[in-house]
Amino acid sequence: MDLLEYQAKELFRQAGIPVLPSQRIDHCKDLKGLKIPYPIVLKSQVYAGGRGKAGGIKFVENTIDAVAVAQAIFNLPIMGQYPEVLLAEAKYDAERELYLAVVLDGSSRRPLLLGSQQGGTDVELTIQQIQQVVVDQEFSPFYARRLALNMGLRGELIQSVAAIVEKMYCLFVQKDLDLVEINPLAVSLTGNLMALDGKITANDDALGRHADLAALRAQMPLRTRTRSAFSNLNLVELEGNIGVLCNGAGLTLATIDLIHKAGGKSAGFVNLGRECCYNLPSTQFQEHIESGLERIAQARGLKVILVNILGSVVSCLQVAKAIVSYLQRQPYNHRVPLLVLRLAGSDFEPAKAQLAAIDVPVFDALDEAITQAVALGKSRLV
Amino acid sequence: MSVCAADRTQLELQIEMMSFTSDSKVLIQGITESLGLIYASRMIDYGTQLVAGVSPGHGGQEVHGVPVFDMVEQAIASVSEIHTTVILVQPYLVLDAALESIAAGIRQLILLTEGVPPLDMVHLSRKAEATETLVVGPNSPGIIVPGQLLLGTHPPEFYCPGAVGLISRCGTLTYEVALELTRAGFGQSISVGIGGDRMIGSSLQQWLQILDEDEQTEVIVLVGEIGGDSEEAAAQYIAEAIDKPVIAYIAGRTVLKDSAITHAGAVIASQVADLSTDIGTAESKIAAFKQAKVLVAERPSQIPDLVKKALQATAKKGN
Repeated sequence: MDLLEYQAKELFRQAGIPVLPSQRIDHCKDLKGLKIPYPIVLKSQVYAGGRGKAGGIKFVENTIDAVAVAQAIFNLPIMGQYPEVLLAEAKYDAERELYLAVVLDGSSRRPLLLGSQQGGTDVELTIQQIQQVVVDQEFSPFYARRLALNMGLRGELIQSVAAIVEKMYCLFVQKDLDLVEINPLAVSLTGNLMALDGKITANDDALGRHADLAALRAQMPLRTRTRSAFSNLNLVELEGNIGVLCNGAGLTLATIDLIHKAGGKSAGFVNLGRECCYNLPSTQFQEHIESGLERIAQARGLKVILVNILGSVVSCLQVAKAIVSYLQRQPYNHRVPLLVLRLAGSDFEPAKAQLAAIDVPVFDALDEAITQAVALGKSRLV
Repeated sequence: MSVCAADRTQLELQIEMMSFTSDSKVLIQGITESLGLIYASRMIDYGTQLVAGVSPGHGGQEVHGVPVFDMVEQAIASVSEIHTTVILVQPYLVLDAALESIAAGIRQLILLTEGVPPLDMVHLSRKAEATETLVVGPNSPGIIVPGQLLLGTHPPEFYCPGAVGLISRCGTLTYEVALELTRAGFGQSISVGIGGDRMIGSSLQQWLQILDEDEQTEVIVLVGEIGGDSEEAAAQYIAEAIDKPVIAYIAGRTVLKDSAITHAGAVIASQVADLSTDIGTAESKIAAFKQAKVLVAERPSQIPDLVKKALQATAKKGN
């Protein structure tokens, strides 16, 4: 889950990372009660990057300008997102801008400290110059000093930047984050440091043990909530006419690949998840399949549903029962999409017999099921 | 992306001690949970020597004739030896369960649970490396050694004993590939799902090396999917260090990378703005495998053909 800048900065403040005085602006009229002296900067609070270049960050000198600019920013979509909130922040004179981040690295199975002296909006251009330090064992501040030194910092900045990195790391661990980024970290002429912009990504799996972060998620507008396509029977729509109902991410992807390879196009997919979804007792798998069918049936342009379910806990018969029950529940004369089933396992034959009774074709070879689904997708009979 | 020296020595140790045979004594942590009950019976049916279960508060009970203990140390004291534990407890309890088993001296951990927070895996990895413990998962279907033992959720009827070593980042897609192999007459020496999460206990490289050394394995099939950089790293490792033929299959060629349809799998690349955005796509992975001279299957049903080809080529070399 990504946090907005003002939410990230609130966590920075709690962690002792220096941030500028700022105020959340929900409506233009909030600017009249501004407690920060001008000049200020107004910043669009959207999840997308590149806000500055898109015109979502503007400096203003007085209230009249501020209201006009705020109105413009509220109406400016950035990568399709409109801000619900702006952040008004004091202006800061930076002499240099650094880049700092803490992330997780799958290869080393460790957190990674990242840093560069080339911070700011063009950080992507200088990605080669980003220094990395793997936090191999239990964290100790020397890892942060190593990063500062590798970044080419010298003198007092080694200690002061390392102190910020240490606070970032503590926040990272304490809140189960996927990412803490400060870009830029401004260095003033006198050597003071200030986090001018920040990004935090919380780990979705860990939200259950961080009530404060989970509360932020609850406040988010629905459309911007980051959700895995593979949770809660999400329907992901694509442009085609064959809907895919599958269990497991890899198998879903492979099934869609095969449809496209065979000349068909997928209308979208619903992934039922693997059997080890902790919350789902296997006894409820039949209901789960039926809910999945209802979701995939909602895909636009759908003609055919290809069901491909493999596993050891859910049997072919259970899947067949779910299909029968789903079809029986459809209102009379209601146009239902054509179904093609792919099942495999020890009770394939009895499942096939049950499905034959209701004219649902079932295959135990995936390629054959794909061929059939693609042929039905192209037929004009539907 | 490369395997560091410390990793290598640890790998060698793991290979020596790795014991996944019909003689292995197995524990399930979380045996009284609903999934624990199901998989315990499946593992027993397959002939796995499930000697104990652990579920705090359920000590003294029995599940399918297997004694249940409150703690791992009690289980070991009672049954004298446990080689591997299969962990099926709730996500936030996985770290503790794993540390409990390591403390009790178990050195092979299979984590089936989905949704373990990554920082818990960082903690566990530090401990596992210090104690030379092999960790598979989390969010893994576990391991099956066809004809010998089942440690996880693989459907046994899709497998038969043979010489193909199967390593996968996926769950059900692994079963699909196993089924294609079995139907084409190619049995498997082992099948391991390393887990779909970004932070997992053992990598594709580690398993490539284990199977490269394994006497039963003649050819390795690697199943991957879009997201993350583990296939790219594995390809590089194959070119450098693997002698046996490797065949790869990657799922996710047709789906746009931005449509958020991978597992949690992601690297720094996708987290830090615009950092080398190519990594993680199917194109990037397939190119990496081709560069490493790994045969890449177009579809699961093509894998047996490529296995046949690879075995014939090896046989020729042998003559």
